[in-house]
Amino acid sequence: MENVSLFIPCTIDLFLPHIGEATVSLLRRVGADPLYHSEQTCCGQPAMNAGYRKEARKAAKHFIEVFGDDEKVVSPSGSCVCMVKYRYPELLEDEPQWRKRAEELALRIYELSQYLVDVLKIEDVGASFAGKVAYHESCHILRGLGVSEQPKKLIKAVKGAQLIPLNAADSCCGFGGEFANQFPDISEAMVKDKAENYLTSGADLLLLCEPGCLLNIGGYLSRNLPGKKVMHLACFLAGNRTEGW
Amino acid sequence: MEIKTEQFTDLAKKELENDRLRTFLKVWFPVLSMKRDLGIATLPDPAAAQAYGAAIREEAMERLPELLEEFEKNALANGAKVFWARDAKEANDYITNLAKERGIKYVTKGKSMVTEETGLNEVLSQNGVEVWETDLGEFIAQQLHRPPFHIVGPAINVPVEEVRDLFLEKINLQEPTLDPVQLGYAARIFLRDKFHHVQMGITGINIAVAETGTIINVENEGNIRFTKASPPTQVSVMSVEKVVATMKDALHMIRLLCRNCTGQKLTAYVSMDSGPKKSGEIDGPEELFIVIVDNGRTKIYQDPIARDVLRCIRCAACLNSCPVYGKIGGYAYGWAYSGPMGQVLDPVLLGLERTQDLYRATTLCGACKSVCPVGIDHPSMFLYYRAKDVLGEPYFMAKRRPRSEERFFKAFAWAVSRPWLWNLAVRMIRPYINKDAREGVISKMKGPFAGWFRTRDLPVMAWITFHERWEKMKENA
Repeated sequence: MENVSLFIPCTIDLFLPHIGEATVSLLRRVGADPLYHSEQTCCGQPAMNAGYRKEARKAAKHFIEVFGDDEKVVSPSGSCVCMVKYRYPELLEDEPQWRKRAEELALRIYELSQYLVDVLKIEDVGASFAGKVAYHESCHILRGLGVSEQPKKLIKAVKGAQLIPLNAADSCCGFGGEFANQFPDISEAMVKDKAENYLTSGADLLLLCEPGCLLNIGGYLSRNLPGKKVMHLACFLAGNRTEGW
Repeated sequence: MEIKTEQFTDLAKKELENDRLRTFLKVWFPVLSMKRDLGIATLPDPAAAQAYGAAIREEAMERLPELLEEFEKNALANGAKVFWARDAKEANDYITNLAKERGIKYVTKGKSMVTEETGLNEVLSQNGVEVWETDLGEFIAQQLHRPPFHIVGPAINVPVEEVRDLFLEKINLQEPTLDPVQLGYAARIFLRDKFHHVQMGITGINIAVAETGTIINVENEGNIRFTKASPPTQVSVMSVEKVVATMKDALHMIRLLCRNCTGQKLTAYVSMDSGPKKSGEIDGPEELFIVIVDNGRTKIYQDPIARDVLRCIRCAACLNSCPVYGKIGGYAYGWAYSGPMGQVLDPVLLGLERTQDLYRATTLCGACKSVCPVGIDHPSMFLYYRAKDVLGEPYFMAKRRPRSEERFFKAFAWAVSRPWLWNLAVRMIRPYINKDAREGVISKMKGPFAGWFRTRDLPVMAWITFHERWEKMKENA
């Protein structure tokens, strides 16, 4: 059995725990044995993005202490994986021992769909869904990690699910962490486009792999188009489709 | 021009309320990036070509002092005169004096972003020298007294009806028409007369070639060639970073510039000038002045990370791919430069305090970085500026952040490496966050996160977090 360490970002831990649960059951279903270090907290991305590097460095070191010896780490968030993979070595560049550990960890951390398809070589997870779905290409997953085909392969293998094109699928949804809060007008204009493209696509469900985008698009839909749903791929694949966004 | 970078949020809000602009951007904005994508696809290996462009510009910046000296030496040998302007005022004064000494009544201008930056037009006008912008878009923007909306298409947002009315009033358009060809023709007739009698022309420079002392301009209207070739006196203005080492480098940068800019393999006109008219030659100016403007760039240059922004060749691919620019257009950025290239350049030229919003009004989506032909990593640059801002570094003219924010992240750092404290904090904050929740959804919240709730809901903070669920899940394995 493949051992894998779970990195559950704070957005999921605190606001979307069902995605974490879905990730666990999905991994178990495909024969992996996920373990979860309860000492994990936050990867430090909010501090890094706000410019608080000293504070982000604290988070990075804690993360490396917690996950440093794990053979493989998997997370249902691409932006948090990007933080660990690309920003940690940069943050710790002046501390060679830490930097080395960060660089090694960078090679062993995966976004969930990437882990399933590229590492476990699994596309069909045994899920089924009757209807049309569209996929939103989150910025950090697409441009940060170069992951785009993996989630689509997983979706296409779902029995009965029809993956249909989404106009401007690779355009940012307008989340950007603090951006959505500090520039709500611009952010709204962006997420509104995403919602409109979802509506015109004719999909029954919008899928994505990023909790940040999920909070943003889901939050907009909940307020403005309550009938439309957006869902994390982990929930879709695990069949955990009723709880939360 | 007036610098309004501090007003970004208000200006952006105003632009978002402009229905006409919204429709324009929605329709035309994707076309610009599509044209660029098609253009770049005509290269046999687009990724390799972009990487080569990045390498050329990286080398040029590494060797900048040496290349500028080499360029000067060769330009002088070609018969040009070179003036080094430390700042906007020195550049403007020098050019104004050139005009005054020659008794110039008016000048024609080719579109030049660096003269927008220095505010040359205002200074010339104040000194009694009339300025005629001759790029059609820049001409329209100038006549409407508006800043450039886009670094390549300065009036791309102006509706054709407005152009018709403007031309009827200002340039004796004979018949009212909405036909762009006829409108363009009217502007040509009007400007042709200006070119015919012009005594001094002013243009920018796209590329300066160190090994030959050549200045290169790319354009589609022929107005730059007219401005360079018609008058006896030519003034070409460049910021220090425009230089590349060799003509071979320059040719590759032209390939990339045209494709990334308008999707063309080559623009309709490419002019390369090595000095003024030589004896025995028929065409060209009698004297050529090259003004090399620093205006804060050598200071950027001292910083090995910020230095990368100087690679920019002003192709505007980043504007055309930016989802934020695509919503608010170019005016909100408040200066000559807009979109991601402005967001990385303005903060180092104007200082971090005056440009706070520019490096924060980004989702870090990376679309700009993915199209940039010179390898600028805009998102990393934004993070770099934010870090400098937090430290309040005087070198970058930064101001410290609000104390409340500093305290928040101090507390964050304290808790993030102490799981027991982190989890305790979660339990303590949760009832406060969830106090107005209805049916698992929070729809309003006062305080620092109010912005989010203007247009969006948030799920309640989980009463049982993943942390708290794990014990049970472990048992169920």
